Amino acid sequence: MKSKVVKLCLRSVMFLVAISLLSGTFACLQAEEINWGKELKNWEGRELRIIMIADPWVDAFAVINPEFEKLTGARVTVDAYPYDGTHEKQIMVGAGRSTDYDVIVLDCPWVGEFAEVGYVEDLTPYMKASNPEVVAWDDYLEAYKTVATWKGEITGMPFGAYHVLFHYRKDLFGEAGFTPPKTLEEWKKIAAYFTNNPKYPGLYGTALNYFRGAPIGQAWFEYIWNVGGKPFESNYPGSPDPYADMTPKINSPEGREVVQLFIDMVKYGPPGVTSYAWDERATAFAMGKIATVSCWSARTPLFVDPARSEITDKFATAVVPPKKGVKSVPPLGGWVMGINKFGVQKDLAWDYIKWFTSIPIHKKFMKAKPVGGPPSRYSAMLDPELNKMFPWYKSIYESAKLTYEDCRPRIPESFEIIDTIGLYTSKAVGGELTAEKAMEEAEKKIKSVLATGGYYIRE
Amino acid sequence: MSKNARVIKYVFVLPAIIYLILLTIYPLIYSLKISVTTLNIARPYPPQYIGLSNFVELLKDSIFLTAMKNTFFLTVLSICAEFILGFIIARFFFMGANLKLKGVGLLRTIYMLPMMVTPLVFGLIWLYIFNPTLGVANYLLSLLGFPPISWFGSTNIALYSIVLINVWEWTPFMMLLCLAGLSTIPPELFEVARIDGAGWHQSIAFIELPLVRRVILIGLMIRIMDNFRLFDLVYVTTGGGPGSSTETLSMFTYRQSFMFFNVGYGAAASIIILILGIILAQILIKSVWGKEEYA
Repeated sequence: MKSKVVKLCLRSVMFLVAISLLSGTFACLQAEEINWGKELKNWEGRELRIIMIADPWVDAFAVINPEFEKLTGARVTVDAYPYDGTHEKQIMVGAGRSTDYDVIVLDCPWVGEFAEVGYVEDLTPYMKASNPEVVAWDDYLEAYKTVATWKGEITGMPFGAYHVLFHYRKDLFGEAGFTPPKTLEEWKKIAAYFTNNPKYPGLYGTALNYFRGAPIGQAWFEYIWNVGGKPFESNYPGSPDPYADMTPKINSPEGREVVQLFIDMVKYGPPGVTSYAWDERATAFAMGKIATVSCWSARTPLFVDPARSEITDKFATAVVPPKKGVKSVPPLGGWVMGINKFGVQKDLAWDYIKWFTSIPIHKKFMKAKPVGGPPSRYSAMLDPELNKMFPWYKSIYESAKLTYEDCRPRIPESFEIIDTIGLYTSKAVGGELTAEKAMEEAEKKIKSVLATGGYYIRE
Repeated sequence: MSKNARVIKYVFVLPAIIYLILLTIYPLIYSLKISVTTLNIARPYPPQYIGLSNFVELLKDSIFLTAMKNTFFLTVLSICAEFILGFIIARFFFMGANLKLKGVGLLRTIYMLPMMVTPLVFGLIWLYIFNPTLGVANYLLSLLGFPPISWFGSTNIALYSIVLINVWEWTPFMMLLCLAGLSTIPPELFEVARIDGAGWHQSIAFIELPLVRRVILIGLMIRIMDNFRLFDLVYVTTGGGPGSSTETLSMFTYRQSFMFFNVGYGAAASIIILILGIILAQILIKSVWGKEEYA
């Protein structure tokens, strides 16, 4: 007990020291007013078009962009679509050599795909020609820098890094005497306790991503690391080349364990949980229907918005729990801003990107109403003011230290691989196939996709 | 016919031919061309000619076969329900109009509303109605003492939910066609049947159905085509899931062509859909219209 208290105190002191050191390092950057008049050109009469995901923070762009419009004279238009639609339209922009969009906002698993086919610019020359204090590349976590880079080329500037955080109802946990679960086994017990408990009518334990396609496919990748598995032979944290040997390990005991986890957790979810995706889960948690939810940090601000949440001051966050005996690997995701290779306003696009991702504007992005963006820079993540406003930043920082940048493959075939795993996991959850058969079928399909792509696969 | 008259004849037909070439024949030939390649617009490698491999793969692809089975099931169930309900409702409207009841015209117009809404919009509306925890459907069931239903989340129910929405939207269309058919039947025939002592069911079986069958055939053909390309509703409500329980041929083709960008494979799938559609339409025409009449 005593050693636990000492450990806790030490961790808190270390966290505070880290905050003061790192925030001190970048304090000068934040305090210094960037002379935007010098950094940005006059783009009077031009229109900059951005294509991106309609995630919760999309409205923050409308709040911040007028400042850029005032500085440069350019008009900024944002076209936002749902997840699959964003990918589809962005590929069509590239395939059609379209000049319709200047800035293309990419999810990290798509980075390899867009870089390989040459639909986005390498940002390295742009960065080199810019003021390093504006770009502040070293202010990003190593993992974010890796996520934005493909074969030595920088495909986009990170601005919306996501971490999967464990969200729980601190009021209910306090009442029931629970602490945030340290293992998946503990989480299951807690979820079971809150489900159909007469003390908590209408409350359920949790809700996983079950909707077919990317939602459940991505969720499979969120858990594979946390049960001690890996999707491909050389794809694991610390691997020198995550894509060197792409022999699938989908149909492994761990892969099947993830599927079984999805099947087991259905009974702790609200009716119809098998049709839930990201939004439905966030809504269920915000409406007080579920006691816990493991979801992307980009949705956390929704839970403190009184207009959308009934649990504004009743929840807290923690690092996602792994299987007992396995080190937690909190999934990393998020968005980077790239320049359309075929665009005709590349300098304007770069001006916008460097402005939007700069330290002071990034901080404004976090604070924007109604829902701000997630922190992607050390300076934002460790900023005392932001930490006070958004208490979950501490969990983000803790997660960021444990994360793995290639936790979802970033190769051109990623979308198809994730969808395929999603399809077969969904089949197993629906009872069409057993967990074993589902992973066997998924592995067979994925092997064929990888073979077409020319990857090294051991027989 | 003079040479000038012949030239003028071709000039008048020319716009239609150009339209047909540009918007139908060229895309069809292009689809055929890419269906025998490995074209993927999101991959760095160039397409290769692979002959009929895409077609062979498709016929071995379990998801494609499931999509085909689901599409047939959805088509048959939807069309049967739409036709039966449409005919019954049309008959009510027909009788109401004959009896000169007030408000029949207004009611008929209101009844047509579902057909006028975009499938994407009503898909979203039904998504809310069928929301398992917040939707009206489960609330009404709970008032009757029934447990909540996972309308789109259960592999056993999801396809029926889609059929239900499909029927809700398109029954007015079948009703309209049946009503148009019924209106063309000379009233004397009903009069004679009544004098001869025919009951209402005999009147339906021997007068109404035979005389409106051509109109019904047109309706059935249109609805078969519609169901073969049913996409929006599935995309919005289930995305083809859970598992592949609501995967339709259109959804499969979309996934291959616009999510994975396996354009060659997707084109092959769409050609198979086209062939199936043509075969079905031919069977339907010949069986309902009769060989002699058709010829």
